Amino acid sequence: MAELRTVPGGPAAAPVVVPGGDRDGRFASRMIIAGASILSVVALAAVFAPLLSQWGETEIDAANTLVAPGGSHLLGTDGNGMDIWSRVLYAARLDLGIALAAVALAVVVGTLLGLVAGYFGGWLDDVLMRVVDIFQSFPTFILALAVAALLGNGTINLIVTIAAVNAPAYARLVRAEVRSLRELPFVDAAITSGASPAGVLWRHLLPNSLTPVRVIAPLNCGWAMLTLAGLSFLGLGVSIPEAEWGAMISLGAADVVGGRWWTSVPPGLALFVCVLGFSLLGEGLQDRANAKRR
Amino acid sequence: MRILRFVVRRLLQLVPVLLGVVVLAFLLVRVLPGDPVRSILGQNATEEDAAAARARFGLDQSLWHQFLDYLGGLLTGDFGTSIQSGGSVGSEMALRVGPTLELVVISVTFALVVATVLGIWSAKRANRAGDHSIRIFALVGNSVPEFWLGLVLVLVGYSILGWFPAPNGRVDPDTGLTPLTGADLVDAVLTANGPATASAAAYLVLPVLTLVVGVVAPLLRSVRASALEVLHSESYAAAKAHGLRDRTLHHGYLLRATLVRLPSLAALVFGTAIGSTVLVEYVFSWQGFGQWALRGLLYRDYPVVQASVLVIALCYVLVFLIADVVHAILDPRVRL
Repeated sequence: MAELRTVPGGPAAAPVVVPGGDRDGRFASRMIIAGASILSVVALAAVFAPLLSQWGETEIDAANTLVAPGGSHLLGTDGNGMDIWSRVLYAARLDLGIALAAVALAVVVGTLLGLVAGYFGGWLDDVLMRVVDIFQSFPTFILALAVAALLGNGTINLIVTIAAVNAPAYARLVRAEVRSLRELPFVDAAITSGASPAGVLWRHLLPNSLTPVRVIAPLNCGWAMLTLAGLSFLGLGVSIPEAEWGAMISLGAADVVGGRWWTSVPPGLALFVCVLGFSLLGEGLQDRANAKRR
Repeated sequence: MRILRFVVRRLLQLVPVLLGVVVLAFLLVRVLPGDPVRSILGQNATEEDAAAARARFGLDQSLWHQFLDYLGGLLTGDFGTSIQSGGSVGSEMALRVGPTLELVVISVTFALVVATVLGIWSAKRANRAGDHSIRIFALVGNSVPEFWLGLVLVLVGYSILGWFPAPNGRVDPDTGLTPLTGADLVDAVLTANGPATASAAAYLVLPVLTLVVGVVAPLLRSVRASALEVLHSESYAAAKAHGLRDRTLHHGYLLRATLVRLPSLAALVFGTAIGSTVLVEYVFSWQGFGQWALRGLLYRDYPVVQASVLVIALCYVLVFLIADVVHAILDPRVRL
């Protein structure tokens, strides 16, 4: 990872590239490829779940509850007689879907707020940033718990919950970016050539302020999945019988103590691998963005 | 002396912030859909029963009245009465804060040590295999769902190997531990109860390990980045060129400069850990603060939710205050 740093106290504050990082960007590329491959596999599993599994998402095999892996149930069944392998595949739909939708919503809302606050400044900026401060002065998972309790269960509510917890960070990021961009000559040029505020925001400031957002968003998707699963684990998210990794882990939690690993371990592993995919992708992109700043 | 003045000033600044939290929590909990008394009355309760219960907890009063009552109680250290249990929220909470704090403090301390050692080791081998594997380890720590990791550790450590106790509490009840602070390990040591000390320590291993893996990643990254920066700084190069001994270089230059940024990050991580304990306590039946607050939230137990929000906010701001003080001690350039 090549990092930029400024000479402390130096008048020119010339950027100095710290060597010793990933000079040719090979490690970054590898991380991006690994992350993208993992995510593609998960996405394919989600799409082709019906073809890859013999049992339905909520199909109950009442004669075979809590059976060990093998036979007609590849990864065994849970306490309700539902096939673990099928449900792990189907769950990718809900997990990926909710996480992606939530992050998309957070990006849109956060970016809009940040653009407006950063460009117009004044009291609007003050009010918005104080709200952001309040949001960010609580641990994020605690905040998600509170919002989830406030809104209640349901797919849409979960998307809104996770988006609400994430949007403030984007607002802050974009606002900072807009505030520094606003001072650059090209913005003045646009204004003098008669562009409206909306035009300046949309055509000039928005595209330029999205760079950090693009880097943060993949990491954020992983975090959104962990939050969703955590909420479901505590009974505040998706509930059984719908297939969702966190809810499945929760259902199997009691079996683990008795040594029956197959109800909880596979869904958790799937969740972990998927989040790892997002992390690798995000980290690789971040490395690349840092290297580019040279 | 300067530090003392700074601490007092910051503590005074906390008063309006906490007052804001109190007001906000009071209002928000009442906006929550769901009725706190319905959940204790059951299905067959009539409207009169509900009204009587509401009157018993003062919920029939005007919002202003309720708030002033609550605030007056807070000033005398009275957090109100739990709607669910009917007990005093203050004394219930006192039993719950100790165990959670014990878990979080041990985990964060442990994570700080691990992050410092591994981070510096990794920076010295930047972009070699060892460094890459440390970075991957940090990514794994960032990506693993903590509650699931806890379950896997239970599976391996208890169900398969049988080395650690079952996830059913914090100490073996047969050891006859007298609770003092609620933090069982501390209590056991204070009362010189040998078996209880061993038992409490054994119960702590798996939850602490779970939290450490989740918490160590951001710390590790930060230490690595700071150490890289120091290693490539001109002052370090100059010190090295002057032929200082490795020990001096390591302790006087690398370690100290690297650690400067750690306190504020540790404070942030402490907040994340408080969030994670809700999940980890649930897995290990820790019966701590997180579980208590979660139940309060689920049952809309107003006084419990209000008290836990206040305590979390208080913890958070105090930890940041401590972090600032430690930062000032480590870095003489910082003026408080």
